[in-house]
Amino acid sequence: MRYLRLFGVFLLTALSARMEYRANFLAALVIVLLESLGMLFGLFLFYQNGYDLGGWRWQEALAVMGVARFLEGVFASWLNPNLQKISERVQQGTLDYVLLKPVDSQFWVSVEGFAVWGLPSFLVAGLLLAYAAGTVGMNPLYLVLALALATLLFYALAFVLATTTIWFVKLYNVVNFLGAVLWNAQYPVSAFDRPFRLFLTYVLPVSFMTTVPAEVALGRKGPGFLVLLALLAGAFLLFSRVFWRFALRGYGSASS
Amino acid sequence: MVRKLLAFLSVYYAHMTVYRGEILFWLLSGLAPFFFMAIWVAAAREGLTDRDPLSFARYFFFVFAARQLQVVWVTWTLSEEIKNGALAFKLLKPLDPLWHYLAQHLAERGVRLPMILVLVGVFWLLYPGALVWTGPGALFLGLLASLLGFLLNFFVAYVLGLLALWLEESTDLYNAWYVLFMLFSGYLAPLDLYPEAVRAFLFWTPFPYLAYLPAALWAGEPVAGAGRAFGVLAGWTLLAWLLARGLWRAGLRRFSAMGA
Repeated sequence: MRYLRLFGVFLLTALSARMEYRANFLAALVIVLLESLGMLFGLFLFYQNGYDLGGWRWQEALAVMGVARFLEGVFASWLNPNLQKISERVQQGTLDYVLLKPVDSQFWVSVEGFAVWGLPSFLVAGLLLAYAAGTVGMNPLYLVLALALATLLFYALAFVLATTTIWFVKLYNVVNFLGAVLWNAQYPVSAFDRPFRLFLTYVLPVSFMTTVPAEVALGRKGPGFLVLLALLAGAFLLFSRVFWRFALRGYGSASS
Repeated sequence: MVRKLLAFLSVYYAHMTVYRGEILFWLLSGLAPFFFMAIWVAAAREGLTDRDPLSFARYFFFVFAARQLQVVWVTWTLSEEIKNGALAFKLLKPLDPLWHYLAQHLAERGVRLPMILVLVGVFWLLYPGALVWTGPGALFLGLLASLLGFLLNFFVAYVLGLLALWLEESTDLYNAWYVLFMLFSGYLAPLDLYPEAVRAFLFWTPFPYLAYLPAALWAGEPVAGAGRAFGVLAGWTLLAWLLARGLWRAGLRRFSAMGA
């Protein structure tokens, strides 16, 4: 409960600080719209010749893109500003201040910041998912659950990657890397050539964040996959926790 | 002069090796062409177009290569240094800051190159037969196009970075440029798959010359009007350079070195 209230405070501070940059918000909106149009055009290049991307109908492929956009929003508004900052905190030694606070440190570094320019992605995600739901039908409950689980999985993976900056210090780009891979997985995973399909499934479980949630919501896969998703997200969350604790033991603090 | 230049570059090279982990992850973030390749290869196997799968593999590999040579970040550096006043110290040095930024970028390529070679090896194992030798002429022309593309990208990024003198935040503008690049350069798909009218228009914009032109040249694909293509590319590069110099002169008068 206390953590929920703290989260609210963080959100409000971040929002009021960011409202100064209204022009940036507008710019972000335009960029996201342009980019989404471009990705739609890229998808259209396949479908115009009657090719179904890995056995997916156009509307279904849009659902995958919608899920990917949703996670893009999560990334831009929440993961990126926070996790990028861990590296900064380690460099400047300000991580010490967080560790001194009577609040769980993983919680603090994960939710303190929030960037409004991630929000336009949610708008596009909503449009795409609504279109897919309206044309080929989606189970809304499964969709919400799958999105939530995918978000947790995404967070856990990104957090593990971000934690490595405790040792490597100069590593801003590591979180960006995951964002980039996710960006590449906007198309159904079965559309990729084999080595890439395997990579996206087993090396970095990105297909579990975009393709699988869409499949469950569309009814292409049974709700049993939600359980699988939950197990996967749970396992990675647990690991991120253990890993953070472990990394902190190696953290020497900057000032001492 | 040459000795000075080499010393200058080697200082920045040493500086850049500190960031090798950073550069590695940045390189890995730029793998998008390979993912698009994977989709197009799979589609070509099903007979979507009359191009064969390997030609897609080749094309996208060279798109990746061209892109790696053209990566720039000077917008971020400039807008940061304008905001925190660090630009003032650069102004005290007897050399135009432009050269410092340019040397930074060139030195970074030196750190990036060995990592790219490892990736080339992996690609070669995954798609044997995709990489073919298309002759020294193609190699040279592709490199020339990439170099001009780099300069164009660099000067555009420089102009956008300088805009931080007037705007609060200018890195968004670079993102916009990057999105346009992605859509119109042949980064998502070879431009010959685009509708004819769209393509004819695109060849007047700077974008196709940043990815499609070098990639098609390297891959040994026929490039219609290569002479005109180089002309347009050189024209845009020149324009970006003039703009960068003009804006620099106008901007210096505005810059009041925060904290000084």
